[in-house]
Parts: sequence; structure tokens; C-alpha cells
Amino acid sequence: MKYPRQSSFVSRIFLIGSFAACLAPFAWAAGRAQGTAFDLAGNPADPLKMSAGKVTVLIFVRTDCPISNRYAPTIERLSAEHEANAAFWLVYPSKDETAEVIRKHDAEYGYKIPALRDPQKVLVKESQAQITPEAAVFDAKGHLVYHGRIDNLYQDIGRARTIATTHELEGAIQAALSGKSYAPGESHAVGCYISDLE
Amino acid sequence: MKVGSPTLSGLLTLLALGTAGLAARHTEVARQSVPRVVGSQQHVTFNRDIAPIIFRNCSQCHHPGESGPFSLLTHMDVKTHGRQIAYMTSKRIMPPWLPDPGEPKFAGELRLTDDQIATIQKWVDQGEVQGNPADLPPQPKFVVGWELGRPDVIVKAEKPYHLVASGTDQYWNFVFRTPVHRTRWLKAIEIRPGDKRLVHHANVIVDRDQSGRRMEKEPGAGFGGMELIISSETFDPDSHFLFWKPGSPPYVEPDGMALRLDKTTDLILNTHLQPSGKPEIIQPTLGLYFTDKPATKHPILIQLDNDRMLNIPAGDKNFLVTDDFTLPVDVSALAIYPHAHYLGKDLLAYATLPDGTRKTLIHISNWDLNWQAVYHYAQPIDLPAGTKISMRFTYDNSADNIRNPNDPPIRVMGGNRAVDEMAHLWLQVLPNESADATADPRVAIEEALARHHIQNEPGDFEAHYNLAAILRMKGDLPGAIDQFEQAVRLQPDDPTANNALGGMLLASGRTDDAIAHLNTALKARPDYFDAHYNLGNALAAKGDFAGALAQFRAAVRLNPRDAGAEANLGSALAEVGNLQEARLHFERALQIDPKNEVARENLEQLNRDAPGRPN
Repeated sequence: MKYPRQSSFVSRIFLIGSFAACLAPFAWAAGRAQGTAFDLAGNPADPLKMSAGKVTVLIFVRTDCPISNRYAPTIERLSAEHEANAAFWLVYPSKDETAEVIRKHDAEYGYKIPALRDPQKVLVKESQAQITPEAAVFDAKGHLVYHGRIDNLYQDIGRARTIATTHELEGAIQAALSGKSYAPGESHAVGCYISDLE
Repeated sequence: MKVGSPTLSGLLTLLALGTAGLAARHTEVARQSVPRVVGSQQHVTFNRDIAPIIFRNCSQCHHPGESGPFSLLTHMDVKTHGRQIAYMTSKRIMPPWLPDPGEPKFAGELRLTDDQIATIQKWVDQGEVQGNPADLPPQPKFVVGWELGRPDVIVKAEKPYHLVASGTDQYWNFVFRTPVHRTRWLKAIEIRPGDKRLVHHANVIVDRDQSGRRMEKEPGAGFGGMELIISSETFDPDSHFLFWKPGSPPYVEPDGMALRLDKTTDLILNTHLQPSGKPEIIQPTLGLYFTDKPATKHPILIQLDNDRMLNIPAGDKNFLVTDDFTLPVDVSALAIYPHAHYLGKDLLAYATLPDGTRKTLIHISNWDLNWQAVYHYAQPIDLPAGTKISMRFTYDNSADNIRNPNDPPIRVMGGNRAVDEMAHLWLQVLPNESADATADPRVAIEEALARHHIQNEPGDFEAHYNLAAILRMKGDLPGAIDQFEQAVRLQPDDPTANNALGGMLLASGRTDDAIAHLNTALKARPDYFDAHYNLGNALAAKGDFAGALAQFRAAVRLNPRDAGAEANLGSALAEVGNLQEARLHFERALQIDPKNEVARENLEQLNRDAPGRPN
């Protein structure tokens, strides 16, 4: 199935009302941002719809980004801790990382949370993500509450703390659960540029 | 019956911190070509402008099987990391090269010019154009497998280390047991740490006293720890850096500077490992390359340190640690290795020559433990006797130092753990040929260093021990005993120091005192061959042959290949009247060493006393 290239950024926030009315996914796909993410079976996938009323957490990663790889145990741990009320998704924005490569990679790194491919950068744009690893948190209504680093382990590439001392993703999930906004101070993600994958 | 003289092995322990090491490229890398200055009108292309920079500076680590997390060999490789590369080069995070620009020049310098960095930036901004295929230089060729060809000996760590998926950096030591069966001259070690993406750096430590084994919970298991202290039995000061870091080819020692490996020598590989996000198994391999040319030039590592000054208040952003050492002899400096942990900030070393000239030996104004390395000078630096070597290291123990392992910062002292600090500088020097052929200039350097370290820190056990050993070598028995006694006062249970002091006391006729210290040594280390041997001799000197017999039996059990122990066991047996068994052990001693005089003379005497015994 082919999808036309997305021509402009359309914020999901403005479309949220129409989602609820759209039962058929293709009607939705045609009616909003052109393009979609895919699950590893190749089916179009919309994590916000599939998160079933939970908070949605998208983690943008790349198989060859050492910093996002190093975060694998942290991401898995956070996912397990919030299993009851937040749905985690790994999002691979690279066109070149096939489902097979991703499956193998996720098995190696012990990822249990589901992975999506986002070759058309639909989720990247909706999340305003720029880096791998970067987290985006949407509340149960689909509003983007936060995007940025998982924690402050890295100050810069090659400049890491022994352990993280602030935990922005955790804070954003808590905010999304309690319906609050979240505005931490410095929260830029450190890692590999998604724009290199154009 | 004659008893062999006491062994004073364990006498000269030159303690080396585990971080002695080295690499840097052996072959001098061709001068970087002058970068094209790309005019503002012209498009930067990969093939013409970027590939030469990448191939020369990045691809050696960024190709399959190497340490780089992705390859940088093709236009697509570089394009899919273009912004990343522009960012990292602009901040000089990559390629990793710590020394500041300027003098002195180091071999294999890996530093981009400002023009090269600007060219990469421009290429990315202009859309990462590939360009004319005819402009593309050939891809660099990399050797698959052993870089120096098949090694003479390959040894693999007996047991792997299981690196956890996440958490702080880990430091693990692998013990490679006696990889040679006779004395060989080592010209290179190729260290294959396993997955190169996980190992930040590694050092090989030559362990002539097999002291690393004693730290293993079970044989072959290895042991943890960032720094280690090992001992050496003979005057064999640390002389070589055996260091591996990602992307560095094995260093081949020049002719005449090979490293001696004896059949009793262990090699310890000290590794710094970084969790990758998934559990990893690390089982390093060493490839040893030998030469027939024994060492004729004997470099030595000069260690400056001042750990006693390391008492850094929480929050201090500019804590200075200094040390100054004056060279007693003329030397040429070959390589340098500065070392601090996570609080290190600015590491400077310089030499002040007797005429007042000051030469920078290294300056790293943005220290990063993760990219520490040994740096070889492009040209040796001549430093005449009387030159003062100065170390000036500053530390940042504030919360602004994001690498600070303590949150919030706490007072940090010197120590071997990652949360402690270190202020060490190793300088590899080659003493100039001495006019007096009988005087080893290394002894003068070692003595000066030991006295220097004692002056810095009167409680420096190793320095007292080493000074004692040097004085003993120079024939100053009372001076040596005094220093050994000071060492034992500092570490009353240390088996090596007690054994050495016991040996010296025995040699100077203070047999009862000797016995007390030898017993202390054996209490601390019951399987200590040297102490059993020395105690056997001490007891024999007192006429307690039954006691001596027990000690020599223990010594022979521990080391069945020692002719001296066999001969002395034979002597003790003869003394207690067991001539038949005595003869057996004299014969064994002669099988091991046909020149063993004690065994030969005693056997001759037995044959005279008991003629007619069939041979």
C-alpha cells in the first residue's frame, strides 16, 4: 500500500475531535496528515489510537545510535513501571531499518515494548522529535505533553554523568496522568539527529 | 652439610600502577594534506572534499568490526550521520584527541584543522552532495584479523566477563597465565578486547610475581578494579606502555627495546568497559609477537604523583595537584601518559631544563578519562640531568562537572576506585648511554624516584620498599634493613615486605628476628614459596633441621622445579640422617639445574661417605 508523501505538518491536536468520529482507519488516514507509521508486520499503525485511553509514550530510537541503545534497559524499566496506565512504543524513523533488522535489534537489547517504523516521519513530526533517543508523551486525549530527553544522563555526546540525576520522562508521564502541563528546565535530548535520516 | 644461601627473591618489588600502557600508531601517518579551501560559490562534494577527511580521520574506527558504532566508508554512511558529524567535529568531540595543539608534536595526531571542520559543516548545510565519482579517492583498506599478521602466540582469557546491560562503567582485569614456556623478547602485543564497542581502553600489565592471580576468587576468573598494584621480584622497573584504545594499531617496539617475558610471567589485561544497553560477554585475546633481538636499550617509566595532595573539597572547581621531580641523569623522553579520573580537568606537564628553558611535555586542557591514551612524541625530547619535570593537574569537584561521580559532590581523596581521584603522570624515558658502563642509570633514576616519593609521602610503603631493594642491590645492608623495617611498620602484615626483611635480617646474622618476620609472611600467605625457603634456611642456621626440613618440603611442594629448594631439602634430610632421600633430592636438583653447586658438592660428599652405592 502506498501513501502520498506528507506535504505539510498537520498537528494532531486539531484533529483529535475527528478521530473519535472516524471508525475506519483509512478514512482517518485520508482525512488528516497524509502518511502513517507502520507496525513490524507492515500494517499502518497509529499508536495514539492503539494506546486505548492510556497515556502514550513514543521513544524515538535508531539501531545504530549508541546512546539510544544504551538507554534500552531504562526504557524497558519505565515501560514496565507504568504498564497499567501508559503505553510505550519504540519508533524507528529510518527508512532503511527494515522490520527484520528492528526485530533482531529489539531481541538483542531485550525490548519487549512494541516497535513501529516511521519512514514518513509522521510520528516524528507529531512529536516534534529531533533526536534518538527522544521521548514524546501524549495524554489520554492525544495532546502532546512533552518531548525531549529521557533523563539527564548525557549532557552532550561523549559527556555522560555516572548516573542520571533528573528524570524528565518520568515527570512528563506523571504530568500526563494527572492532566497537568509539564515544563522542565533544560530537556533537550542528546544523541543522533533524526534529520540525518531524510 | 652446606646449606644454600638465602634467596632474597621478592627483594625488589617495583610496584606499578596498572595503568602503565601504550599505543599510538607505529607507522608515522603521512602529514595531513592541506585542505582545499572551498570558496563560497563552490559546492562542497563528498567525493572531492569530504571523503579524504573521513577516510584519513574517521574510517579506521568506523568500519565493520571496529569500535565505531557505525561505518563511515561511503557517501550514504556519512550522509545518514551528516549533522551528527558536523556537530561532533565542530565541538572536537570527534575524532578523539586530547592534547592541545602546538608543541610538542605527537605521533599519529588525530586532529582536524579548522578548515576541515568548516568544510564538513558547509557540506551538510549545502545538502550533502555526492559529487563527481572521478573525484572519489580509494576507500582505505583495513586488515581483517590480526593487524600485524599471525601472532607467535595467541592467548585467550580463560573465563569471560559478563558485562551487565546498564549501569556505571566497569573495570575488569583478566589474568593470562604464563603465555610463554621460555624467556622470549616481545616486540608487540596485539590486544583484541572482544567487542571493541564496549572496551574504552585496556592496559597490559607485566606481572612477574604472579600477584594478579592472588586477587582472583577462582583461578582464571579475573578480578575487578580500576587500578592495580603488582610486584616484581627482580630489578625490572616498568619500562613499556602496553596500552590499547579503539582505533589504535598495535605498537611495535623499535629494535633493541623488546620487553622480556619469562616463563613465570603473567600478563594482566586491565579493561575499562561501558555497558551498551544489552548484556555482553567479553573474553579478550592477546596476540604476542616475538623478536630474536633482545633488549639492548632499557627505557624506564618515571612516575610523578602526589596522591597525598588529593583532598578535594566538595564544590572546588579548580583544585591544583603538583609534583616536581629532578632527573638525576640525562634521558630522552619517548612517550607520556597522564592519568586522572572523573574530576580531572586540566592536565599539564612540563620540563624546566637546567638552563631555564621550559618545554611543554603535554597539555590537555579538557581532560576526558574516556579517551585517555599514551602519547608518543614524534621526536624524542632530550632532557639533561638536572631537568625538573613538573606535573600540574587541576580538578573540578563541583556539580558543574557533569562527570562528577558524586551527586551532590563530596570531599574526594586519592585512591584506586573510580569514585576516588588520581594524579599520576608517567613519562617513558631512555637514559643516555652512561660513560660508566657498570652503573645502570635506571638504578639512579629509581633511587631518586623512591626518595622523591618518600619526601612527598613518608607513609609511602612502596617507596620505602623500593628504596630498600635498591640499597640492598648497592650493597648497603643496614640502609636496606632500615627501609624494609619502615615498610613493615607501614604494612605490618604484608607478606612480601616481611619476607624481604626476613631475608635481609638472615643475611646479616639476625636469625631470630628473621624467623619472626618470615613467620609473619607465611601467616599472611601460607603458599609463599620464598618465605618457606627463607624460613628453612633460617631454621637450618639455628640448627633446627627438623623445622628446616618441613619448610623445604613445603617449598618443593609449591615449586617442584626449583633446584635450590630441592638442594636445600636434600641438605636438611642429610642433616636429620635420611641420606637415601637426601640423595634423591640432590639428584633432582641437578636434573633441574646441572650447575647447582650445593647439590653437586653434597652429592659428591655423600658418595665419598658412602662409597659403593650403585649409581
